[in-house]
Amino acid sequence: MLGIHRTPLSLLLLAVGLSLDAMGAETSGAPVEFNRDIRPILSNTCFKCHGPDVAANKSGLRLDVREAALATHTAKTGLVTTAIVPGKVTASELWRRVTANDPQTVMPPPDALHQLTGNDKELLKRWIEQGAKYQPHWAYAPMEKKAAPAAKAGVLAAMHPIDRFVLVPLSAKGVQPSSEAPPGTLIRRLTLDLTGLPPTASEVEAFVDDLRPDAYERLVDRVLASPHYGERMAVPWLDLVRFADSVGFHGDQEQNIFPYRDYVVDAFNRNLPFDRFTVEQIAGDLLPNATTAQRVASGFNRLNMMTREGGAQSKEYLAKYSADRVRAVSTAWLGSTMACCECHDHKFDPFSTRDFYSLAAFFSDVQQWGVYGDYEYTPEPELKGVDNDHPFPPEIELTSPYLVERAARLRKQIAERTAVLARQAMESPAGQAAIERWAAEVRTRLKDGPSSAWSAAPASNAESTEGVTTTILPDGSVLFVDPPPTVVEGKPAVKKPNPNRLTLLPASGPLSTVRVEVLPDDAHGGYTTREQKYRFDLRLTLALRRAGRTQNEPLAIGYAFAEKSTESYFNGKPLASVHTRWRSDRKIVREPQAAVYHLSEPIEIAPGDELVAVLTSGDVGRVRFTTSPLGGTLPPEELPPETRAALLADRPTAAQNVLIAGVYARSAGIGEKGLDSVSTGLLLDLAGCHEGRTQSLVTVSVDPRVTRVLGRGNWQDDTGEIVAPATPHFLPGAKKASPAGPRSSRLDLARWIASRENPLTARTFVNRLWGQFFGTGLSAVVDDLGMQGEYPTHPELLDWLSLEFVDRGWDVKAMVRLLVTSATYKQSSTRRPELADLDPANRLLAAQNARRLDAEFVRDNALFAAGLLNLDLGGPSVHPYQPEGYYAAINFPQRDYLADTDERQYRRGIYMHWQRTFLHPMLANFDAPSREECTAARNLSTTPQQALTLMNDPTFVEAARVLAERVLPVEPAKRLDAAFLRVLAREPSARERASLEKFYNQQLIAFRAQPEDARKLTSVGLRPAAKDVDRAELAAWTAVSRVLLNLNETIVRY
Amino acid sequence: MNLPLDPELLRKRQQAWSRRTFLGKSAQAIGALALGSLVNPSLLKAATATGDQRWRGILSAPHFPPRAKRVIHLCMAGGPSHLETFDPKPRLNALHGQPFPESFTKGQQLAQLQNAVLKARGSSFGFSRCGLSGQTISDLLPHTQSIADDICIVRSMHTEQINHDPAHAFMNAGSIIKGRPSMGSWLLYGLGSEVDNLPGYVVLMSNGPGADQPVSARQWSAGLLPSKFQGVQFQSKGAPVHYVGNPDGVCQSMQRQMIDEVAELNGFCAEKTLDPEIQTRIAQYELAFKMQTSVPELADMSGEPQSTLDLYGVKEPGDGSFASNCLLARRLAERGVRFIQLYHRGWDHHGDLDGNIQKVTKLVDQGSAALIKDLKQRGLLDDTLVIWGGEFGRTPMGQGTGRDHHINAFSIWMAGGGIRPGLSWGSTDELGYRYLEDGQQMHVHDLHATMLATFGIDHERLTYRSQGRDFRLTDVAGKVVKGILV
Repeated sequence: MLGIHRTPLSLLLLAVGLSLDAMGAETSGAPVEFNRDIRPILSNTCFKCHGPDVAANKSGLRLDVREAALATHTAKTGLVTTAIVPGKVTASELWRRVTANDPQTVMPPPDALHQLTGNDKELLKRWIEQGAKYQPHWAYAPMEKKAAPAAKAGVLAAMHPIDRFVLVPLSAKGVQPSSEAPPGTLIRRLTLDLTGLPPTASEVEAFVDDLRPDAYERLVDRVLASPHYGERMAVPWLDLVRFADSVGFHGDQEQNIFPYRDYVVDAFNRNLPFDRFTVEQIAGDLLPNATTAQRVASGFNRLNMMTREGGAQSKEYLAKYSADRVRAVSTAWLGSTMACCECHDHKFDPFSTRDFYSLAAFFSDVQQWGVYGDYEYTPEPELKGVDNDHPFPPEIELTSPYLVERAARLRKQIAERTAVLARQAMESPAGQAAIERWAAEVRTRLKDGPSSAWSAAPASNAESTEGVTTTILPDGSVLFVDPPPTVVEGKPAVKKPNPNRLTLLPASGPLSTVRVEVLPDDAHGGYTTREQKYRFDLRLTLALRRAGRTQNEPLAIGYAFAEKSTESYFNGKPLASVHTRWRSDRKIVREPQAAVYHLSEPIEIAPGDELVAVLTSGDVGRVRFTTSPLGGTLPPEELPPETRAALLADRPTAAQNVLIAGVYARSAGIGEKGLDSVSTGLLLDLAGCHEGRTQSLVTVSVDPRVTRVLGRGNWQDDTGEIVAPATPHFLPGAKKASPAGPRSSRLDLARWIASRENPLTARTFVNRLWGQFFGTGLSAVVDDLGMQGEYPTHPELLDWLSLEFVDRGWDVKAMVRLLVTSATYKQSSTRRPELADLDPANRLLAAQNARRLDAEFVRDNALFAAGLLNLDLGGPSVHPYQPEGYYAAINFPQRDYLADTDERQYRRGIYMHWQRTFLHPMLANFDAPSREECTAARNLSTTPQQALTLMNDPTFVEAARVLAERVLPVEPAKRLDAAFLRVLAREPSARERASLEKFYNQQLIAFRAQPEDARKLTSVGLRPAAKDVDRAELAAWTAVSRVLLNLNETIVRY
Repeated sequence: MNLPLDPELLRKRQQAWSRRTFLGKSAQAIGALALGSLVNPSLLKAATATGDQRWRGILSAPHFPPRAKRVIHLCMAGGPSHLETFDPKPRLNALHGQPFPESFTKGQQLAQLQNAVLKARGSSFGFSRCGLSGQTISDLLPHTQSIADDICIVRSMHTEQINHDPAHAFMNAGSIIKGRPSMGSWLLYGLGSEVDNLPGYVVLMSNGPGADQPVSARQWSAGLLPSKFQGVQFQSKGAPVHYVGNPDGVCQSMQRQMIDEVAELNGFCAEKTLDPEIQTRIAQYELAFKMQTSVPELADMSGEPQSTLDLYGVKEPGDGSFASNCLLARRLAERGVRFIQLYHRGWDHHGDLDGNIQKVTKLVDQGSAALIKDLKQRGLLDDTLVIWGGEFGRTPMGQGTGRDHHINAFSIWMAGGGIRPGLSWGSTDELGYRYLEDGQQMHVHDLHATMLATFGIDHERLTYRSQGRDFRLTDVAGKVVKGILV
């Protein structure tokens, strides 16, 4: 039987009949409505000179205010006229001017860009005739909740309120709504809209078969509960707040802010009310006892672009950041174009320049530097020592659940890998013998206690440069003493790190790790550093000189860990390994410190062999070297007890032998190639997780900077009025600045923004949400609800929804549910040629709109269909394949893009690394914004670059092959059905099947003839091709999958 | 979504509907399904092949007679010193090492010279009067000297942004607010491209002597214009255009078969959904396929004679050098690409100006001049506007051994495309500090207005509606500098 969820809107309309009121003023004599009919005309053609920007109004005549337009006006010539005389067209100067023939008299002037059409004039005429009534601009007027239209018939009362609003104008035009989309289309539409992912094949089947009356509502609830809902909802929000992984200006260095993105995803998932969401982002740091999440949320205020360019002036850039923030806040929350007011009063809307800077003043307490570096010519003493690799302060440290989980996963993988290596090592009798030899050596060294795994490598010779003297002490350590300080031009000469060359005598036997201890010494007043400096900085290279040889063999260091160190950075990120640079921890400058360097290829030391250590440092005081055969893991002291017991056992058990083999494999390596690179990579990855610790940009409130109105936006102009924080003066509930009262804070601003009094926020949000699910906002220009925006197609619906949003406690999920459960949403998106003339853009909503997926979801969809998508939530941004050399034009620092080589390769698009100056080409090709500026609506283009991406980007080629691998195990007759279900949530039609079968056979013949091509195509990507499959068959199916992933239908939700 | 306001989409939609409604209103009675079957996919393919999907510009006719059809912008990124290249200042040389007169600098914005003692720095290089026109050009630029009679040197340029990143944005888009379209995007939007198997706006990048100031992809962004108008950077490594190469193991004929199959299935979908976007999508696959052939053909310079390589000073065609990029620029111009932009990163001479400028001029001088000569001998110079210059100039005050950024004066040259050849335009004061307001000054907005004028476009009438207002390249300013036009 037909459940209610299958009842199409059209049937309901038939039940209701066409008894609803007609709307619109197209027919002559019908009432003209100012907001709908007149304001757009005046705003577009008249307000530029006769509007709110007084400075641009040469005549003094204003048409945007009724009193002014109706008053007598004295022109410069002395002529006294009245622009508008209500009811009297011929007496109205406005009418005389717009209909004049004389180029000197006619308005708008003949050279104006925007001229009046005949229809415009006719509307103006009727408006004056009808009394020239003004209305406050709809978006600035208080929201008004009229009940959803009721009708005489009882059926309507039971209908979804949205449908009642939509049916009124439809019925007035005699248009039938479309029927409901088929269930397969519906579930794909809903799942893509709410999660950015397609439904699985079994989900499709279950829904199609579910004939319960509330099957659709159940589906909605299930999908809304998915953790991927938050990811989907976050994408447009991240565009608005311009979330990115790099700072954008000049060197475009990386910034640490991914926890903010995770906060946004989480906020949508736990359905944080939008008013609280607003407060936490704008003023989370000011909340009493702010939680870590709230402080992370305040990172919103730090998402403006930043510079570290030498020669940039702090004051100029602070002005840029401040203006950027006003633009973002006013677009994201107020749907307003306040950007215009940086230089002049708004031409169309009542925003003034003073409003612009008063809004900016709310943020003047946000700790920020104009230039994030300390340069001689622009000193920033607080940023001393900050270089291009440093992060952008202030940040907080927090724990990332993703990183904690990833660390645990990596530990498990390391253990598994070790077990595999151990088995390999034990495979042959020769391997067994090698293990035994090695274990015997280790056993003798370990006998005397945990630290005895280290053998002394005393220095036999030590040379230095720059006049530094070296002394070898009895324990084999080396003491460095600086020469007396020299003075150049009255200043002490700057000391540079200098190379020191030490010859060491390591113990014979296997060697895997070299430990450097930096020791305090009386010669340096008990400090580890010369001259009692607070920190040392050290770089080490190692070489081996075999006995009797003169040539050194360089030894590669795989990685190095220090017990304690100061973070070193590359491009804003703390380095996991200290092997390129070890900087000591300044807090323990009087205690011994050590770092352990792990050789990439362990070596065997024979008697007489020497190690040559070149230690580059300007400040270490005394160093001692030791070596160990144990490596490939953390320092030997940290061997797990059971492993230590195994190594010490005289007669190890079989289980202990496996443990020993594992340590052996990771310390000594197996075979000729040195340490296993997989293990080394995993260890470095583990270290890179920093035990889950991570940093995020946050807002720290400091003494507010002075905010002035800048004349023409000129940051050098210090003559403007000083303004206090205040909300736009004309909006209801405005927080006015009072000289005597306390200064308003960001918290006041945030609470006003998300208040019932403010008419803009709820309208802006709900309108955008509508655009997300219907393709176009109820007011189409989602980033401008002002006079130049569009009068909503369904103003009463927009207001009803907006107040519903507020009344429901700013409950976002409730609003989403409301929208997607309407019959209007569920309509078919099939185009209706009979409506082409009447409603070409489908604004009456007699059908759904097909909509191409956003860039991130184009990618997610393909990977998901292939079963390749990694559904992890949160964490640092990831690096999918990207064409090489793409970052060549980036500098300070120069950097290479390194694609991830593990499961992170297949993560969702929302987690892709967002480089503002060079956005990933796949994202850019599908219209993702660079996020340098607040973006409320993405373009939806159709370009050859998109075709090239879907056809040739390795991500999509690999996805096609993996999809083929999923399909191949299915019985041959059902393969195409399986593929279609995965990609399109439906079965192929007969002619699709016929066409693709022909195509498949053609491809199979070609790949059979060219097996090398088959091998190549099926080898694209990181994931190895399935084993034991016919490569030609796999390649032919890959070709079919490529077709499917390139279909228009695949990247469009219908 | 700005759908209803996008003129292109409106037009496309109208076209799509007019195709569908050719049966008249009675079609409604037949119903969607019956009508759909009239849309034959093979007909769609034929329509595509005729190229009727190509964007021909928002302007139906030029506002006045055009001279230029395309631009080659040689962007000297980093800010060349006008004092070492085109603007000799004997008085500055005489003042070398002396305090710089405070009357010039008081209250003015400086970059790295903030808080420094300002000293005049003269130029170490000689200048010569060149050609019949007698224009003065630095001896660092011997090849440019040889084209003196073909170029118009403008010495009165000035800008508003003193740091590289915003100054590039200002030079490209007339605004530092992100999201403003760059000039190439404006031209594509206004006029379309003359070619559909290559991007209409191509960017090439070279650098040297060292790695230098970064240049952001935002400089060729379409901003708020539809993204089809954005510039496409040709890569010096790998495929010249991202994803232009087939996947490994797929030859051109197999790629063709795949595209045909996609078109076939897309055609079925079009019949079912009546979604007019599908036709566009099919057409874009055709274009992509053409690009897969035409881009490698374009980049393959093996057919260029040795004499041409010598003219440009190309050592290895396609080596990513500025000289090679100049030759590629000519090939792009020949094929009808609308806007070609060559960045050379290597002009930010805060230190060792004398050494660095000798190196960088060696890298760019010959290629720049060869491009003019080559265009001229092929009859392309008349309708190709070539612009050579940086985002700002450099201070007459020394910064150690170099010069700092400077916004009050810099020099550029222009050639072809309706620009008067052999003309010197505008001047700076006796120390090269500031442009003279003698009626020949040229602000960046004026440059943009003049560039558009060479295309027959009134810069005030090439606009795009977004966020409730009409945006244009020249914002709310800009005057056409008529004196330099033929």
